Amino acid sequence: MANLKTYIVEDSPVIRENLVATLEELAPVEVVGTAEDESTAIGWLSSHPEHCDLVIIDLFLKSGSGMGVLASAHLREANAKVVVLSNYATEDMRKKCLELGADRVFDKSNEIDLLVNYCVDHALDRDAGASANAGPITNF
Amino acid sequence: MPARSPTSEAPAASTSASRSGRAFLLLLRDSPFTFPLVAIIAVLLLVISEVSYRSAVSSLTQLEDMGFVRIRNLELLRLMVDAETGQRGYMLTGRDEYLQPYNDSIKELRQLLEPLHRYYEKDPTSDSLFVELQTTIERKVSEMQASLTMVKEGKTEGALQLLLTDIGREQMDSIRRLSRKLTEREAGKIVTERLEINSTLRLGRIGVATMTALSVLALVLYLRQRFAIEALRVDQRRSLQQERDQLEALAVERTEQLTELARHLQTAREDERSRLARDLHDELGALLTAAKLDVARLKSRIPDISPEAAARMAHLNETLNSGIAMKRRIIEDLRPSSLSNLGLIAALEIQAREFAEASEIKVETRLEKIKLTPSAELTVYRLVQEACTNIAKYAKATEVRIQLLATSDGGLIEVKDNGLGFDTDTQRHPSSHGLLGMRFRVEAEGGRMKLESSPGRGTLVSATLPSPPEPDSTST
Repeated sequence: MANLKTYIVEDSPVIRENLVATLEELAPVEVVGTAEDESTAIGWLSSHPEHCDLVIIDLFLKSGSGMGVLASAHLREANAKVVVLSNYATEDMRKKCLELGADRVFDKSNEIDLLVNYCVDHALDRDAGASANAGPITNF
Repeated sequence: MPARSPTSEAPAASTSASRSGRAFLLLLRDSPFTFPLVAIIAVLLLVISEVSYRSAVSSLTQLEDMGFVRIRNLELLRLMVDAETGQRGYMLTGRDEYLQPYNDSIKELRQLLEPLHRYYEKDPTSDSLFVELQTTIERKVSEMQASLTMVKEGKTEGALQLLLTDIGREQMDSIRRLSRKLTEREAGKIVTERLEINSTLRLGRIGVATMTALSVLALVLYLRQRFAIEALRVDQRRSLQQERDQLEALAVERTEQLTELARHLQTAREDERSRLARDLHDELGALLTAAKLDVARLKSRIPDISPEAAARMAHLNETLNSGIAMKRRIIEDLRPSSLSNLGLIAALEIQAREFAEASEIKVETRLEKIKLTPSAELTVYRLVQEACTNIAKYAKATEVRIQLLATSDGGLIEVKDNGLGFDTDTQRHPSSHGLLGMRFRVEAEGGRMKLESSPGRGTLVSATLPSPPEPDSTST
């Protein structure tokens, strides 16, 4: 099972470190880069469009917001799965994020398990076929 | 009226006398005794006038008496001459016709002496003279009587002898002399009396003139005193007015300061809440999430976990979840995350929905997209929050309408309920402090807040907010 190349946009270093460790430990994930603000994230994504399979985005960032990253056109080009991991996963927020092109939204506090499962599933799906019809919600 | 300024009073007066006089006048002018002085002068005037009147009247009466006495003196002399003539006639002719004028004269003489006697009794300087005259007259009369008696008895010769002794003539001369003396004395007294009348009149005249001058002066001083008092009152009124103006200005200034302070506190409060929310989110949120991640990693590390350990693990997970939920509630209360994440319209929609669910009041929204600064958006959000809180607490409404409308120069937010309402003129709104705070916030944003209500007709809270000077991208 090849590792999922994952890019993480998260402003809190504590969460970032723990998240990287957790995901790499529990799922076939290889974190290829991180960003803590909107412009860095968009910059990286635009310069490395083919280098990742999964982008995990937090909504609150040091500057700008996860919404901005979601809305960015470079994310489409990256051809990666996009999930939002937020502490504000309210109904409205989920709806808004899905509208902006997120594949899934996970609550940072209660849905870590679901995120891990999603990563595992995604890796399996990608291995199973070249076609990318994995997530429950496809939004391309 | 004379000018009040002292410089214009007597420009040339430089001697010490006039200066002290002026000082005295100033003293009088300012003295509270000026008015009593006027009263005293009036009384003095009356007294002087009365005294000189009486004195003049009595002098005139005396003059009258003196004139009378003078005439009587002359009369006396005439009667004596008449009596002597009658005596001589009788002595020459022996006819009784001549006795008649004699007797008449004597009788009249006696009548005349009586009042004269009374008059001279009161006049010690002339009394002795009069007594002498009276005695001489008595002697002369008795001499005449004696000669007449002699003629009646036929002793004409003896009577002639008596006449020839010159006693009668001497007596007559003496009478004339005395009478003239008395008359002269009376004339002198008349002159004296006239002089006295003159001096009395002059004195009265001077007194009246002086008193009149004094009373005019007193009147002038009194009037000036009145004017001074009036000027003082005007001054006092002006200074009172000034004081009041100053106080008013101070009140306005203080009100402005308080308004500024309230605005500052409001901003500071919002900043503080925002900072607290950020800290809670960044620090506490990260710690709790890290703990959750650790729990997730622990679970996978221990494949064969004992039921008891699994229960503890589940409990730890629950505790962490409760902590996260609490943190989330606190943060949401401190700063509406939906506003910065979803924008004003979505945030208001969420708020309206949550309010409707919590209060079971039907909420209708009509929200148009408008451009506002982030702080103005927060103000709109807080205004709706405050209005909704008030409705839930006091209004007993069944329907609420929240409108956000775009206007030519900004936005208009309205929250209207169909609740109890209140009288804006007489009643204080139960949450007037909250609304006052809202008013400050709205005005700090350059907007205007309005509160319309009347009993039984619900309440409308509305505010206009200006759009930012430069179009700014609204938060997505």
